[in-house]
Amino acid sequence: MSGLPVAGGRETAREMWRLSGGHRLRLVATGVLGMVSTGVDLIPPLAIGYLVDRVRTGTAGAGTVLTVTAVMALATVLGATGTAVTVVLATRIYHTILATLREQLVGRAMTLPQHVVEQAGTGDLISRTSDDVTAVADAAPAVIPALTVTTFTIVVSVGGLAALEPPYAAAFAVVLPVYALAMRWYLRAGPAVYRAERTAMSARTQQILESQRGHATVLGFGLAEQRHRAVLAASWAVAVQSLRARIVQSMLSARLNLGECLSLAGVLVVGFVLVDHGMSTVGGATTAMLLVLRLLGPVNALLYVIDDLQSALASLSRMIGVVTIPEVPDGGEPATAGVLLRGIVFRYGDGPPALDDVTVTIAPGEHVAVVGVSGAGKSTLAAVVAGIHRPEAGTVTRPGRTAVITQEVHVFAGTLRDNLTLAAPSATDRDIHTAFEATGTTGLLDLLPDGLDTVVGAGGHPLTDAQAQQVALARLLLASPDLAVLDEATAEAGSTQAGPLDHAAAAALAGRTGLVIAHRLSQAAACDRIVVMDRGRIVETGTHHELVDAGGTYAELWEAWRG
Amino acid sequence: MSRDDPRGLGRGPLTRRLPVLLHTPAEPGRIRPFAAGAGTTPGRFLLRVIFSRKRVTVPAMLFATVWQVGEAAVPVVMGLAIDRALATGDTGQLALWLGVLVAVYVALTSAAKLALRLTAYAVQLLQHRLRGTLSAGVLHPVDGTGRTPDGGVVSLMTSDVARLANGVILVIMPVARIVAVGFIAASLLAMDRLLGLVVLIGAPVAVWSMGVLSERFSRDTREYQGLLASTVGRATDLVAGYRVVKGIGVEAEAEVTGRYRRASRETLAGAVRNAGFLGRFLAGSGAVTGVFVATVMGLAGWSAVAGRLSVGELIAAVGLTQALLPQIESIANMSIPNLAGARASAARLLDAVPAPPGLQETSRFEVAALPVLEMSVAGLRTPVRVGPGEFVGVHTDDRTAARLAAALLDPWAGDDPQVRLDGLPARELAPAAYRSRVTVAPHRVTLFSGTIGDNLSGDPAAFRAAACDDFATDPDAPVGEGGNRLSGGQRQRVALARALASDAPVLVLHDPTTAVDSVTEHVITGRLNDIRRGRSTLLLATAPGLLGACDRVVELLPETTP
Repeated sequence: MSGLPVAGGRETAREMWRLSGGHRLRLVATGVLGMVSTGVDLIPPLAIGYLVDRVRTGTAGAGTVLTVTAVMALATVLGATGTAVTVVLATRIYHTILATLREQLVGRAMTLPQHVVEQAGTGDLISRTSDDVTAVADAAPAVIPALTVTTFTIVVSVGGLAALEPPYAAAFAVVLPVYALAMRWYLRAGPAVYRAERTAMSARTQQILESQRGHATVLGFGLAEQRHRAVLAASWAVAVQSLRARIVQSMLSARLNLGECLSLAGVLVVGFVLVDHGMSTVGGATTAMLLVLRLLGPVNALLYVIDDLQSALASLSRMIGVVTIPEVPDGGEPATAGVLLRGIVFRYGDGPPALDDVTVTIAPGEHVAVVGVSGAGKSTLAAVVAGIHRPEAGTVTRPGRTAVITQEVHVFAGTLRDNLTLAAPSATDRDIHTAFEATGTTGLLDLLPDGLDTVVGAGGHPLTDAQAQQVALARLLLASPDLAVLDEATAEAGSTQAGPLDHAAAAALAGRTGLVIAHRLSQAAACDRIVVMDRGRIVETGTHHELVDAGGTYAELWEAWRG
Repeated sequence: MSRDDPRGLGRGPLTRRLPVLLHTPAEPGRIRPFAAGAGTTPGRFLLRVIFSRKRVTVPAMLFATVWQVGEAAVPVVMGLAIDRALATGDTGQLALWLGVLVAVYVALTSAAKLALRLTAYAVQLLQHRLRGTLSAGVLHPVDGTGRTPDGGVVSLMTSDVARLANGVILVIMPVARIVAVGFIAASLLAMDRLLGLVVLIGAPVAVWSMGVLSERFSRDTREYQGLLASTVGRATDLVAGYRVVKGIGVEAEAEVTGRYRRASRETLAGAVRNAGFLGRFLAGSGAVTGVFVATVMGLAGWSAVAGRLSVGELIAAVGLTQALLPQIESIANMSIPNLAGARASAARLLDAVPAPPGLQETSRFEVAALPVLEMSVAGLRTPVRVGPGEFVGVHTDDRTAARLAAALLDPWAGDDPQVRLDGLPARELAPAAYRSRVTVAPHRVTLFSGTIGDNLSGDPAAFRAAACDDFATDPDAPVGEGGNRLSGGQRQRVALARALASDAPVLVLHDPTTAVDSVTEHVITGRLNDIRRGRSTLLLATAPGLLGACDRVVELLPETTP
């Protein structure tokens, strides 16, 4: 099973550049504002240094103190407001781009050729539209200040230090390798530890979720004690991994402390020499000390978020990987009203052929049933006809408008009406009632508390599998395709439901070409023609009566089914 | 983990052999659940939780205090060093203060290391114990009553447990920070009484006003996170229905994309609004701290001008004020939201954890090892009766079957249909006694991730009876999440094998072969009766397929129920 593609660094950058179009002017404005605001923040340390020197030389009076205090208060308020506005602007741009990206992601996911998704598994797609979107959104509070205010503070403070007290800047530069080494170490040790922690967390969630979903099984089989132990084992596995992650963090903070200690010692030594030679004042040394102290916090903060930044980038490239899957034009097959399959060969992975040189034609308006034992290739044939699988050899021609209903029912969270208008957004309640009447399932509406307005799906009113299939059949009628493929669509129905559901299926097929994978052979008997499959090949074909009279495979199945 | 780096922590050749504290913590033995009786308030529950690990939290708090006071001392040491060494040009003083600086860093770094690890350990221990409490009380109720937890139990057992356990940090970090603020105030007090008093009064006021500012922002953040979660939930729902959407066609693809877009735009509006609140908070708290620091500095400058402070003391005061900032910001921005979050989660946990069991601990009645199972349904004159060793089928419609199965699964939920064992109403039995006799295999199959062998108890006869022998040749093959590596029919057969392997005195099967093809179903029908010989079996079936295995069949179709 190969996953969906992940975008490389260059592709991610190119896509981000494209997505930022229309926001670039605001981005530049945000950057300029951030630089100016952090520049204003340099004023207080300078003011303090000035005050120290004036006090030392005895030239300070009440006026000096008042002026310095006022300048400091004003500068911090202005600086704080400026950085706040910077963060707000950056956050808004970030979320706007993320919203556009996640919408493109879901849009592209829905239009992807189904065989691409089937190969990767829908789980991969789900994790990209949920986990990755959440990861990028959750990174915002850590990443945005780091990329704006923190970075600007470092640049402006180092710049200020270099401009005002260049020798102190040189002292700070000497310590930089310590930080570079700490970062290199962290980037090597951190990701694996955090990955292990996240893996343990998702295993724990999985265990909890399974116990919740399988609560009936847990109770019915008396598995409470066993499941409790499984959940707690997963819980402690997270504890162990989390502690490892915290240990790596505390090792990082020890390394950062080393850098801090050396930076401050550097200021003292350089200051000592400079003051001794009359090249700096005590006030200047105080300013330098304050500037270095102001630098340390942001430098530490930046190193701490590097990991968040990395994992946000990883999620981003997974999202962009799906968005940038190129659209392949659909081959331009001639749309026909019937179906023509010629010499189809298909296999799952490297396995034996699931379909081996299969040729079938379905005339416009004809209903064909496919029967056979488990593993004969019936569902594979339906999937190839529907375009879910792409055959490795042979050609498929089918009508442009094809609808499929399988045993897999999914009721979308929302009202029953939302579930039905999915197929025809402009359908009125009248159209919906007509569809239910045609399939003979109006009784469903009476069973629901609010009729079409009943909220169904996850968290809503539960529908039985048979009811969900009734909805699917009514939806098919609303979509009104040229070809309908029913893959054991009515298998879940018990014997009391089988009659009505078979009737609904027949109504859904009326007036269009149909391919039916039949679970109950009574469905097959009702079709115009029956195709019998065995081990990926078609072994018999004919009407019900012809095949029963022929006394072959179908006749045997018919006997077994009738009991 | 490689041999060069045995603990996988990325340590170099010099340090990799050193012992690591708490690297592989021992698992706590049996978990004592937190008591949460009626009358427990969220606040009291929070206190009970955060004070339950004093042996870890008290040392953590002491180390954290050393660490924070050390952090506060750094600017002071720098100020004194500038005053004593730089201003005088005394090399001896420079060496002395450099030594002091290094010593302070060594002390604060070691203390921080220990404090961080002990804190993380305490958090993890509490998380584990809280999770154990919820697991035993809500997710897998040992008393066996059937209140099915909804999907919210997942976030309860992950996010809420984490938030509540983080509450334990409240007895570690803020305490240390308050001591550090006290240290700063005391140092200033020693230099100048007015300065010290201003800090003593001003620091709590600054913390309080920042807390007020952050409150509105935090509330909106929770709202925004709810919006984001619902958008993500919508995406998950739509993508989970991917095959259905593809099955309908192009119109549905466009419609789904449009619906998602609307939800996404709502969330974006929430994010934009939330950024506004963040901006107001940042600007407000920046102004509060800025004005506070400027005031303290101005006062210090005035004292220096008036001659009450030496220049050295002025520089030290500058350093102390500088050290005050991060302490105030951390208490306001971390501890206050932590307290609010922990309290809210404590309330949610209290709602979920049931009152301590007291009812039906021991059964008042004795039931035979292989009892007679009877079910009476309102409106039906004769009850369904399964005698010892009998294999009885009930042929009915899907809604009646679901009702019967639910009543057998949880006889305490209602009294129609009523379940009796040996003539005694099941609802008067202790859950443990009932479940030791009756095993119910629900229709909706759940396989737990793991291998096929994990899901079966490895009984080859059960395996064969459920016709698993054709696909499940390797018991170590993983079944995938929720069994998704198996086809629908295979999942049902593994689940049936699990039910048969359970060896229950009374086994209830509910439509166990709806996804199995008729030929295989026929095979199973032939083997079923044999494997259940000597014990009782009740088959609830809506399709006739399997009923051939039964000794007798009760017809409960709608036509026959009056």
